[in-house]
Amino acid sequence: MDFLFILPIFLPLLTAIFLFLNRKIFNELVTNFFTLNSALLSFAISFFAFVTFALDKFKPISITLYQWTRTPDITIGFTLDGLSGVMLLLVTGLSFVIQLFSTSYMEKDEKHSNYFVYFNFFVFSMLLLVMSSNFLVMFFGWELVGLSSYLLISFWSQKPAAAKAGNKAFVINRIGDFGFLIGLMIILNTFNTFDFHTVMQSSTNVSENTITTISLFLLLGAFGKSAQFPLFSWLPDAMEGPTPASALIHAATMVTAGVFMLVRISPMLQHSATASMVIISFGLLTALIAAFSAMNQYDIKKVLAYSTISQLGFMFIAIGAGAYVAAIFHLVTHAFFKALLFLGAGAVIHSMHHEQDMRKMGGLRKRMPITAGMMGIGTLAISGIPPLAGFWSKDEILASVFAKAGMANELVFSIMYYLFWALTLGAALLTAFYMGRHWLLIFEKDNGIDHSEVQEAPKAMTRPLILLGIFSIFIGFINTPFFHGLEKVLHETLENVEVTHLPEGIALVILAVLSIGAGFTGLIIAFLIFGFQLHKRINLGKFKLESPINLVKDLSSNVLYLNKFGNVFFVSGMKNFSRKVAVVVDGLIIDGSVNFISSAFGKTSKITSATQTGLVRNYVVYFGLFLILLISLFIFTPLVAQ
Amino acid sequence: MFELLIFFLPASILIIGALIVVFAKNPVHNAMGLVMTLISLAIIYITLNATFVAMVQMLVYAGAVMTLFLFVIMMIGVDKKEQTSDSIKGQTFLVSGVFLILMSLLGYVAVNSEFSWNLWFPAVDYVVEGTPQLIAGTLFTTWIFPFEIISILLIVATAAAIALAYDSKIRNKDA
Amino acid sequence: MLEVTTDWYLTLAAILFSIGFFGMMIRKNALIMFMCIELMLNAVNLTFIAASKHFGQIDGQIAVFFVLVVAAAEVVVGLAIIVSIFRKQSSASVDVLNVSRG
Repeated sequence: MDFLFILPIFLPLLTAIFLFLNRKIFNELVTNFFTLNSALLSFAISFFAFVTFALDKFKPISITLYQWTRTPDITIGFTLDGLSGVMLLLVTGLSFVIQLFSTSYMEKDEKHSNYFVYFNFFVFSMLLLVMSSNFLVMFFGWELVGLSSYLLISFWSQKPAAAKAGNKAFVINRIGDFGFLIGLMIILNTFNTFDFHTVMQSSTNVSENTITTISLFLLLGAFGKSAQFPLFSWLPDAMEGPTPASALIHAATMVTAGVFMLVRISPMLQHSATASMVIISFGLLTALIAAFSAMNQYDIKKVLAYSTISQLGFMFIAIGAGAYVAAIFHLVTHAFFKALLFLGAGAVIHSMHHEQDMRKMGGLRKRMPITAGMMGIGTLAISGIPPLAGFWSKDEILASVFAKAGMANELVFSIMYYLFWALTLGAALLTAFYMGRHWLLIFEKDNGIDHSEVQEAPKAMTRPLILLGIFSIFIGFINTPFFHGLEKVLHETLENVEVTHLPEGIALVILAVLSIGAGFTGLIIAFLIFGFQLHKRINLGKFKLESPINLVKDLSSNVLYLNKFGNVFFVSGMKNFSRKVAVVVDGLIIDGSVNFISSAFGKTSKITSATQTGLVRNYVVYFGLFLILLISLFIFTPLVAQ
Repeated sequence: MFELLIFFLPASILIIGALIVVFAKNPVHNAMGLVMTLISLAIIYITLNATFVAMVQMLVYAGAVMTLFLFVIMMIGVDKKEQTSDSIKGQTFLVSGVFLILMSLLGYVAVNSEFSWNLWFPAVDYVVEGTPQLIAGTLFTTWIFPFEIISILLIVATAAAIALAYDSKIRNKDA
Repeated sequence: MLEVTTDWYLTLAAILFSIGFFGMMIRKNALIMFMCIELMLNAVNLTFIAASKHFGQIDGQIAVFFVLVVAAAEVVVGLAIIVSIFRKQSSASVDVLNVSRG
């Protein structure tokens, strides 16, 4: 019974294959029946397996399915320990809830069955990734997850924007995967095995430079998958896919694979100070850039996309500061309220007949009360308002950064970490601001547009919303400073890892107050501008704030022109360069030399065939020439020794 | 003295005949020059003690082959004057070039060896008479195989000549 | 210069051969070219006989036999070809026969 946890991995695969083979035969009802039942069954089995595992004091279980070679050690195996157990529950649970939502959202779509095939395939690959016991199986899952993401992003492939977005996601992911692959090669070369346990245990025997190199390459993979700077521009474009798919993939599961992988290698990662510094700085940079860009977006889903990037930045900050438990905690809470927000946005889009521009919405609170309420809960959660989930996890991250500053050896590191803390606090404030703006623009601000035909979403949509709302409220209690539930679960996984502990006593309370204050400030500012219309009521002209505000708005909506820069530099530059190479090198040089050689043959044969005149007298002359040759040969060479 | 005479007389007739073959305009003259060459060659063979071969040469070459030549000359047209202008481009140039080089090579050889041919093996002092018995003895024992092949060759040549020159129109006209 | 040795005959043969070769290059008429071929073959015969006398062996004269027979056969076939060619065209020049041009 120990190995029950394998079943939830392969059940979605079987469902996907089954639905694929019968996709022309089944109608929507049958497809819904099969997929929902399979998702529920997977969740039930994983829950049962997790409970069994928990009762066994969280002792990790490993199973090897197939061993290919012994040295180097290449096997296919799965493991159930605290980290993978948490992810297993998260993925299967959310998959069920979101599939329930999708049955209503994707209703009457002509590619209905394809959607569920891809969805189940995605769940299978994600589970492959999280349940793996070695790097190789994780890499399989990593790649397949990228593939499923591509399939789902470009789902409505007749739209050219969707196809391009799918390509972009896959290519940028590939850049990350390139780094991941090199990291894998170095791991195999150094440790002669892919197994997590063995690698982590022998990581102390290896030099720090090797650890840093491996970590940096694997980090490149994490950057690509988790949309950190500079590989983040695929995530906003990925919003072309169906909203429930975005909810699962680009909010809760796939993009967290990078975070998951870094926590997996935390016993190795902790030895490399360089890698940790890189992680925290890039995480912070990403968080700030994304939060800044989210402030002035007008598409309902793009705000959520940038928000996801920003929150992933938070998780990276936690990892860089050594607070691995906090990172996983934030991963779990973020999964719930982000999925809630995305599904809510999906409900709004569905009711507004696929209108996604927020400027055309407004005042929907009266028409869609349940959706408004649940999304309000999500907004409060993400802003870090206690006692909702987001507060506990975000506060833990901030406190860990602060604690790391106190633990630092030298003054310069200390100052740097205090600065990081302050900037992270600023990012939290921005988060509250743009999420408040988001909610207010959709549900509160009255634009005078007629919304009389907008009604509340169907029950199959609102019920998952309510479920996720309840979770968003209460999931935070699994790891409070009073009850370290998650830490106990992850204890065996992070056995030898030096986790940054929170400061004790009054420092913790002050930090908590500060982060709550940041959240409230952001929400109040948002309310003042977008709810209360402060700027219309008070004349701010004497402060001369017009041009700076316009500049900020402009920079924000164009993502600091980063995308344009990337386009010009990488895309156009590469295209021009390759065109030049194609013309000059391929056309002139290579084709020229090949053509030259072949034409040389032709010319030579033309010259030599001029001797074949067909006239007898010419041939006689040739005969004479050879006669001369022969005679001179006899005369001038000593043929026979005297 | 006598030997010199018996050498130079046929030799000069030989050369003159060869020159007539090359430079005459009338084809019949060419044929006559060739006959002169062949007969003087036969005389030279006799001085070299190859009596049987000389007779055979006289019979076959000067007799049969030349008769054949004359038949064809008569058939093709004897009174046509041949144009001496050269119709191939650069032929004169090439011919004169080859000839000059050849002659200079031979002259070089002659001058280099001071007009004495250094034959590698010395001459034997006994004389082998080319009698029919001797020739037949060698021909039918050591050289029997080429002999048989030569006879097949002759039959094939005859058949080929008939096949090539056969004109069905003439045949049908007769019938 | 007083004795007629073998090399005199060889020289004579060489002269005959070159005259025949020169004639082949010069003349256009097919029949005349054939006669020049005959000259060259006869020069070879002379060489063989002289060598036979020089070495005291009879095999040179046997070789002459064979050359003679082959020359006769060749003349037969060649003249038949010339006859059949010149039935088509009325001139005897070989310069127009460049069908095997490549």
